[in-house]
Parts: sequence; structure tokens; C-alpha cells
Amino acid sequence: MGNILAIAKRELRNYFATPVGWLSLCGYILLTGFFFTIFLGFYSEQAATMGFDPYGPAEMNVDEYLVSPFFGNANIILLFLCPALTMRLFSEDRKAKSLELLLTSPISTAEIVLGKYLGALSFVLVLFLGTLHYPTLLFWMGDPDPGIMASCYLSWTMMTACFMAVGLMASSFTENQMVAMILAFGILLMFWLLGWAEGSLGSTGFQGSLKDVLSFVSLVNRTEDMQKGLIHTKDLVYFGSFVAFFLFVTHQRVEAYRWR
Amino acid sequence: MIKVEKLSKRYGATTAVQELSFQVPKGEVVGFLGPNGAGKTTTMRIIAGSLGATEGRVTLDGQDVFENPREVKRRIGYLPEVPPLYTDMKVRDYVRFAARLKGVDDINGAAEATIDRVGLAPVAHRIIDHLSKGFRQRCGVAQALVHNPEVLILDEPYSGLDPAQRVEIRDLLKELAQEDRTVILSTHVLGDIEAMCERVVILNNGKMVGQGPISELTKVLGGRTINLSVVRPEGLLDTLSAIPGVLKVTPGEAGTISLFTEPGDIREQVAAAAVPYGLLEFSGRQSLEDIFLHLTQQAEA
Ligand SMILES: Nc1ncnc2c1ncn2[C@@H]1O[C@H](COP(=O)(O)OP(=O)(O)O)[C@@H](O)[C@H]1O
Ligand SMILES: [Mg+2]
Repeated sequence: MGNILAIAKRELRNYFATPVGWLSLCGYILLTGFFFTIFLGFYSEQAATMGFDPYGPAEMNVDEYLVSPFFGNANIILLFLCPALTMRLFSEDRKAKSLELLLTSPISTAEIVLGKYLGALSFVLVLFLGTLHYPTLLFWMGDPDPGIMASCYLSWTMMTACFMAVGLMASSFTENQMVAMILAFGILLMFWLLGWAEGSLGSTGFQGSLKDVLSFVSLVNRTEDMQKGLIHTKDLVYFGSFVAFFLFVTHQRVEAYRWR
Repeated sequence: MIKVEKLSKRYGATTAVQELSFQVPKGEVVGFLGPNGAGKTTTMRIIAGSLGATEGRVTLDGQDVFENPREVKRRIGYLPEVPPLYTDMKVRDYVRFAARLKGVDDINGAAEATIDRVGLAPVAHRIIDHLSKGFRQRCGVAQALVHNPEVLILDEPYSGLDPAQRVEIRDLLKELAQEDRTVILSTHVLGDIEAMCERVVILNNGKMVGQGPISELTKVLGGRTINLSVVRPEGLLDTLSAIPGVLKVTPGEAGTISLFTEPGDIREQVAAAAVPYGLLEFSGRQSLEDIFLHLTQQAEA
């Protein structure tokens, strides 16, 4: 455990020692701010219109019309961000030959993989801290459901956990960071598009069965319920297995360096 | 004692190391000599546990490197050809990080002692990326030394250093070698290790082509190339060819001559023969290349 934490800490600090970390932090706060402003704009516009509608609901639900859409749409930022954060994890280490330090230390490959993974993942959790002013604002102005808010953050965390596992694996396959990023992005985009395809299918006959398959592999669609405050055990198990699978492939890949 | 038994390593179709066997007794300092591509790095990486062997085994006091990696790695310090540095870190943080990975108990104590030991104290607070090559190499040594290992494996520790840095690192390594450690040091420059190695193992094309005390190797093995320049080269060629032990005489430009000799030192006879012709320059240093030439020819024959 000590070794995992030592490696994780090193990786986390690396983000703050390079422009990549600070750029990501600024970019992430700016982009989520952009999304938040847009959805806040929609919300207040609609709420204002509804005020004139005698048959409409007395009040527009802030969770349903602002919190969920904001968190759901801001997922896409992670799609671009995660590959950029994971690309160097193994690629740079191999290229600079610093991986030799890890490989010749009395630690296991699993510790190396987990350490790097947790270090990178915790950086994104730091990014999430940079978005806490949006909920703060909402709690101050209105009355959103804290449970749903927490569940939304959990959905981001789960999604990021999956994305970072894919990115880490991609990085273990090449010494070239650019290639690692493109590979990770390609894989994630595929999962993303499968989610879209599912949405466009009918629910009966062949289309129905295909839809079932796609809904199983689609990551993003699994976060939808969570962003409404519904946490299903099967979804958590799915995310857990997804991460475990990609970390396992990474582990095998790093072991294979020794046997090339 | 390090025991390498019938070690082979193939990278796809290329064989980097072939049926290599040798032993290094505890406390001995061994030089690993060989031209580029001889398989030095490959062998050292296998001993240090970062690379798997295709065949054969490596043991340290009977413990197999691959069956007990944790135990063995705790006792080995390895400085790769390119020091394994995280250049975004400060020197002190890096050495502490290495100490933690190597399983040291008192991390801060060990890190500070190592920083002092290898002469990194003046730059301990600086980022590695901003250091000179000499200091970076010291960081590499620190990483190999921080857990006070009994065995040190140093892969071409002088390559890429300027002459002043080379001397500094050499003095440091010489001290470390004297502290009752088993040391394996690789190089392709004979002069690098003459002063500190008791024994050399010579590799070529992945095979051992010779081993023994360094003084004997230069005496017994291999001829040498003698370069000289004279004022009046006419007639000297024949005189030189007639000296017993001279294999080949090649005239160069402007009175320079180079000749290749059989094993054994005949510099005196050659110099004496050349003096009447107006000897200006004479160099008869035995180079590693000469030894290789001899050993590899012997291996082929
Ligand atoms: N990762 C690798 N993949 C393929 N061939 C390699 C690899 N590393 C080394 N080799 C080959 O193995 C041989 C021995 O290399 P090396 O051990 O680096 O020699 P040295 O350190 O003595 O220069 C060389 O022919 C080299 O090209
Ligand atoms: Mg080498």
C-alpha cells in the first residue's frame, strides 16, 4: 500500500509541476463555467416563461431542469480531457527510461499500475473541487436536492474512473504520448458513439435486441440515472468491472515489457 | 555471490546474449567490457530484474532473481545506461521517492545520507531538469545507492560526461567500490576501469570471449597497434617487417606508419629500429579494440 501511495503521490505532484496540470485545471473550470452559464440561462428563461403560464407547474424543478442537464452535458469535457491526462503515464516513463527505477525496485507490477492510476484519478478529483462553486451558488439561491447533487458527482467520478483506466492502458502500449492520447480518445469515442446509437434505436424486434447490447456497453447512458439521483448496484458493479478489465490489460502489458 | 548460468536472451530474431555463464564472488569489482551491441546492457538488466531471460538463470547467494524478485532487488542497486530520473522532481524528493520504493525504513535519514555521500547536497533543493549532466549522473548513483545495497550494477556510468565530470564520477565510484561491495561495471573504454576493477569479463556478440585479471589480459591477450611518424620513412618499412612479432605494416601519409603486432610487448624493439630514421612520434597504447580483434579472431578460428 505504501508503494502505491508513493507512486500515486508522485504522479499527482507531476501534474502540478508541469503546464499540463495547470492548463487542464483552468480549461476545465472555464468549460464547466461555460456549460453552467448556458444551462442556467435556459433554466431562468424557461422559468420566466412558465411564470406567465397559468396551467404550468408552480415552480420548475431545479434538479431536473438544471442540475442533471449540466452534469450530463459536461461529461463531454472529460471525454477530451482524460486522454490528455493519461497519455504520459507509461509512455513518458518508458521513453525517458525512468520506468527502470520502478522495474528494478522491490515492488510488484500491480503496485506500479495501481499507483499510477490512482495518482491520475485523484488529479481529476482535484479538478472536480474546482467546480464546487456551482452547487454552492445553487444552494445559496435555491433549494436543490443534496442527494442528487452528490449522486451527480459520483457519476462524474465513475465515468472518469473508466476513462482514466482506458487512457492508462493506451499509454502502456506506446512510447509516443500523442499516439497514446489518440488511441485512448478513439476507444472512448467508440463507447460514446455506441451510447448515441442506442438512443436512436427502436425498442422492439432486432432493433430492440441491438439496443440491449448497446445499452450494456454504453458507459455514458449508465450515468443518466445516476445524474437523476438513482444509484443502481448493477451500474456500480459495471463501472468497477470496466476499470478492473482495463487495469488488468495494463498490468499484463507492463509485465510483457520484461519479456520482450 | 552472483551466479549467471547459461543465460540467453533473444529479442525476436536477434540474439542479444547467448549461453553466458560467469560468477562474481562477494566483494569483487568486475569490469564488463565489450563493444556496442555486445549484450552488456541486456545482461545487466536481467541481473537487476528489469528484463526476463529467455533461458538460463541468475542467482544472488542462491536466490533466483525471477523467483524472489523482492528479496533480490532489495540487495541490488542498478544504475542504467540512461539514469532513470523523474526530471520534474526536486533532487531531495526524488531520492526520497527512490528510498521509499527500495523499501528503506528510515526514508529521510537514508535520503539525506545518500545526498551527502554522492555530493548532491549543494543542489538538493533544485529540480533535476535544471542540473548538469554530472549532477544528473549523481542522482542516478543516489537512486542505486539509497538502500545501501551489497551489489552495485553500473551500466556505462561515464558515457556522455565531459572529462571533468568523468573524473568526479570515477572517484565517487572508486570509493563506493572499496566499501566491500560487489560491483559490476560495464564500459567500452578500457581506460575507464583499469584503475578500479580486479577482473574483467569481455563480451562480444552476446558471448563471453575472455575473462581474467586486467593486467594479464593486456599482457597476454591481443596484439597492439603502434603508430609512429619518422622524418625518412624510406627503408623503414622493410626494417620493421623484419622484427619478430610484427604482423602487418601499413604506411600512411607524410612519414606516418602504423603496425600491428602479435601478443607480447615489442615496443622497445620497434622504437629502437625507428630511431635512425628520425623518430618524431611514437604511440603504442594497447587499445581495447586490439584485444577485441585478437579475441574475436581467436573465437572464430
Ligand atoms: N529492446 C530491444 N529490442 C531488440 N533488440 C535489442 C533490444 N535491446 C537490445 N537489442 C539488441 O541486443 C544486442 C545487445 O544489446 P545491448 O545489450 O544493449 O548491448 P551493449 O549494452 O553491450 O551495447 C544488440 O544487437 C541490440 O541491437
Ligand atoms: Mg549498453
